[in-house]
Amino acid sequence: MGRLLLIGLLLVAGCSAAPEPGTSNGPVFRGTVAEGSTVDRIRKRGVLKIGGSQDAPLLSQLDPTTGKLTGFDAELGRLLAQYVLGSPKTELVTATSETREPLLSNGTVDVILQTYTITPARRERVAFAGPYYQSGQAIAVRKGTNGIAKPGDLAGKTVIAGANTPSIAAIRQVAPTAEIVEFGSDPECLAALKQGRGEAYVQDQALLVADASKDAELQLVGEPFTVDPYGIGIKHGDEEFTRFVNDWLREIQKSGLWQETWKKTIGTVVRGEAPAPPAITP
Amino acid sequence: MSLVLEGFLTTVALASLCFGAALVLGLVVAVLRIAPVPVLRAAGATYVEVWRNVPLLAWLVLFVFGLPEIGLTFPLFWSAFLAISLYEAAYVCEALRSGVNSVALGQGEAARALGLTFRQSLRHVIVPQAARRVVQPLANIAIALTMATALAGAVGVVELTRAANRVNLEIARPLLVFTGAGLCYLALAGGIALAARSVERRWPAHV
Repeated sequence: MGRLLLIGLLLVAGCSAAPEPGTSNGPVFRGTVAEGSTVDRIRKRGVLKIGGSQDAPLLSQLDPTTGKLTGFDAELGRLLAQYVLGSPKTELVTATSETREPLLSNGTVDVILQTYTITPARRERVAFAGPYYQSGQAIAVRKGTNGIAKPGDLAGKTVIAGANTPSIAAIRQVAPTAEIVEFGSDPECLAALKQGRGEAYVQDQALLVADASKDAELQLVGEPFTVDPYGIGIKHGDEEFTRFVNDWLREIQKSGLWQETWKKTIGTVVRGEAPAPPAITP
Repeated sequence: MSLVLEGFLTTVALASLCFGAALVLGLVVAVLRIAPVPVLRAAGATYVEVWRNVPLLAWLVLFVFGLPEIGLTFPLFWSAFLAISLYEAAYVCEALRSGVNSVALGQGEAARALGLTFRQSLRHVIVPQAARRVVQPLANIAIALTMATALAGAVGVVELTRAANRVNLEIARPLLVFTGAGLCYLALAGGIALAARSVERRWPAHV
């Protein structure tokens, strides 16, 4: 009963996102489009449907004051819409790890842009363009915590992680004996860490850096210990559209637009220059 | 797959412990609500209105994230156990009370006329008649409670739904995984319904 209610709320919330105002200046596809192809369908519809989140800071977060999605994934989505349609018209459908594959296979969304880690198991059911971004899982602790200096130290400890994130698999790999406690959102995980429900919190490094910049109680331990290639999910078997999205990714990487987008979003909390964009695997 | 089994066992443990606690507490509150003392009746009514009128998910979040703020930190499982038991006790109380109300007024009056005390008339006259009538409403509550334990997954308890989520994260087959989890819940609910029917059959009406 509770689950249904949650899913219902998500659907209602997910469908109400308004098209974004045009701010991007990305490239536009000028080639010919085959009748009946995915690009053709999106153009006829006039809007790119994206499966994603509205609660992921720095990546895809709804700004309640403007009603606009902000973050790296959100910006890339608008750029992709610009490339396909000539204007950044996107519609966000809130996706979760349970709904991503069905949303793609039944055609509810055109792409998934949601820190969707490319894995061999997923490749059997989903086509991936990209990777469009590469990140890693890092460890945070309460300031003054001793005994956690490297991933292996998580063994036998209680570790907090975001529900349905790649962190869970990463923890199990480096410390199979760690007990994992999951919470739905980053703020909940942080509260749980501070209240002592776990000794460490494992999360995407970019997110942890953002958290630590706002919270003096939080301390990052070492460097990221995994490499997570995030891909753009596309309906399984749609090779034509996958190639199309890959071409677009190569173009924005070459023109420096990718790096510019990174600086505007993740680069506001991660110091230094934009990293080299990941090599696109065909 | 051991993860799913563990999740299933956690769901079974959470549901049965919560139902047991809700039954005991609900009985106490129901006695308060029908007691001849106005203060006790008011206390019982307040309990029911407070617990029933706030969504369970809100209670769970308050118990898991709110209590530690005032220095009370229980393990996640027991936080969920407390929240669900206290919440469901309000429903159990109302089911029991309606069972008592279904016993004709004259029965209580007759018991008093015979000189039975409040406790004696409950024990020998009212409860035996009310008990059989509340079996099905209680089974209803037990099933709803079992389904409600899925909400504990939202506050970090790895029960069946959360375990299914984790497995799905790895194998990316939501239809298969959640249909499987749904069948497990169906089996639990079916078991409760069967148990209720057999209790009802063995418990002859004392009319």
